[in-house]
Amino acid sequence: MSGFVAVLRKDLRLELRSGESTIALVALSVLILIVLVFALDPVGGVRDASTAAGALWVALIFAGMIGSTRALLAERDNGCIRALILSPLDPGALYCAKLVAAFIFMAVAEAAAVVLMVLFFNLDFDARLLRLAPVIALGALGFSALATLLAAISGRIRAGDLLLPLLAVPMFVPALIAGVKASGAALAGANFGAMAQWLKILVAFDVLFLTTGYLLFEHVVGED
Amino acid sequence: MNKSLNLWLGALTALLMVAALYMVFVYVPTEADQGIVQRIFYFHVPCAWVAFAAFGLVAICGIFYLWLGQDIWDDLGYAAAESGMVFCTLVLVTGSIWAKPIWGAWWTWDSRLTTTLILWLLYGGYLMLRAMADDTPQVARFAAVVGIVAAVDVPVVVVSVRLWRTIHPAVLVTRQGGHGLEDPRMVATLLVAMAAFTAFFVWLLILRFATLRMRTRLVTMARELNLAHAAAGDF
Repeated sequence: MSGFVAVLRKDLRLELRSGESTIALVALSVLILIVLVFALDPVGGVRDASTAAGALWVALIFAGMIGSTRALLAERDNGCIRALILSPLDPGALYCAKLVAAFIFMAVAEAAAVVLMVLFFNLDFDARLLRLAPVIALGALGFSALATLLAAISGRIRAGDLLLPLLAVPMFVPALIAGVKASGAALAGANFGAMAQWLKILVAFDVLFLTTGYLLFEHVVGED
Repeated sequence: MNKSLNLWLGALTALLMVAALYMVFVYVPTEADQGIVQRIFYFHVPCAWVAFAAFGLVAICGIFYLWLGQDIWDDLGYAAAESGMVFCTLVLVTGSIWAKPIWGAWWTWDSRLTTTLILWLLYGGYLMLRAMADDTPQVARFAAVVGIVAAVDVPVVVVSVRLWRTIHPAVLVTRQGGHGLEDPRMVATLLVAMAAFTAFFVWLLILRFATLRMRTRLVTMARELNLAHAAAGDF
């Protein structure tokens, strides 16, 4: 536990001083939303909750793909990963620290993206956004769990940047379906009962990938 | 690999395949509603079964590899993923050929189609990893992990996509609980086709597995030879 806290605190302090991941994530999310506004052209005044929800999730996965795993990849760039593996730190704790860091970076970017989504898609700042919060939090958590495990693999392969989306996007599909549906329902003003089945899938996805990631991480970070 | 086993499996596959073709095109009666197009079903379903079995095998091999660390599991998993990919592609192709006259579209976002497509993409990613990481010494462990994670993903994909939408006909187990093949000749044809495709898959798998075993042995020998040369001061 102390190892987990130490690594996470180090990553967050690094992020507070440089802002590298969060700024890149926010900027990417904004750009993706703008691209989608041009691509989908939501006519002024038409409040389309499901289009807005879809745009938000596209921003979440594509920005997350590039920005969320910086905390893990930086260790390799700096040659620190070997020291971390040699230290008495449990690989599972390292995995948790890196995924929580990724989750926090994504949560900040998502908060910014939600504000922009409301502006760009002509929605309202009201209680519906509060119902959106747990959906996005669950989605970002599942994505962090998945991306952290896969980035540990792709980070060690020559053309790994190319490989990460090829592996992560198909695996994220169930959470994407559930997330878009639940977000659309939340923005349309549905109550939690209508969102329940989708939230269950998101929770199941998160639990599954947190567990498999925790168990398998040591097999992908270890040196031979 | 054992030469006579190869021969026997090849002969068995050929025999079953010819029998299946005869039954599909001559023996089995034409389905009343869909007409001649329905006959593709006898290839479509066995391909799907083989693809799913192959992908299950990939995950099982992954678990055994991480557990025991023997490269035989790695080679078997790789062979299963490659063969499974072939049959998964055939499922999508035969499904599309059937769907055009029956549904009026090559593709719809039905739950089973979507699930199969996601499965195809998952194992496409697995094979891309294999291809890209070929020169990395840890490739076997990476592939094992991705194979396991993909298999863990499949049940969530199935559930989420089913909630999303479904229009695929339920033939083998209908929503009323029975099965939709009314003529016993249809059942017989399906069973023979299943056997033919299973034998075909096992044959392909063993051939590919034998090649991969040879490659692994070659790589190991080359590595040991290099070490021996280095120890003798040849370099």
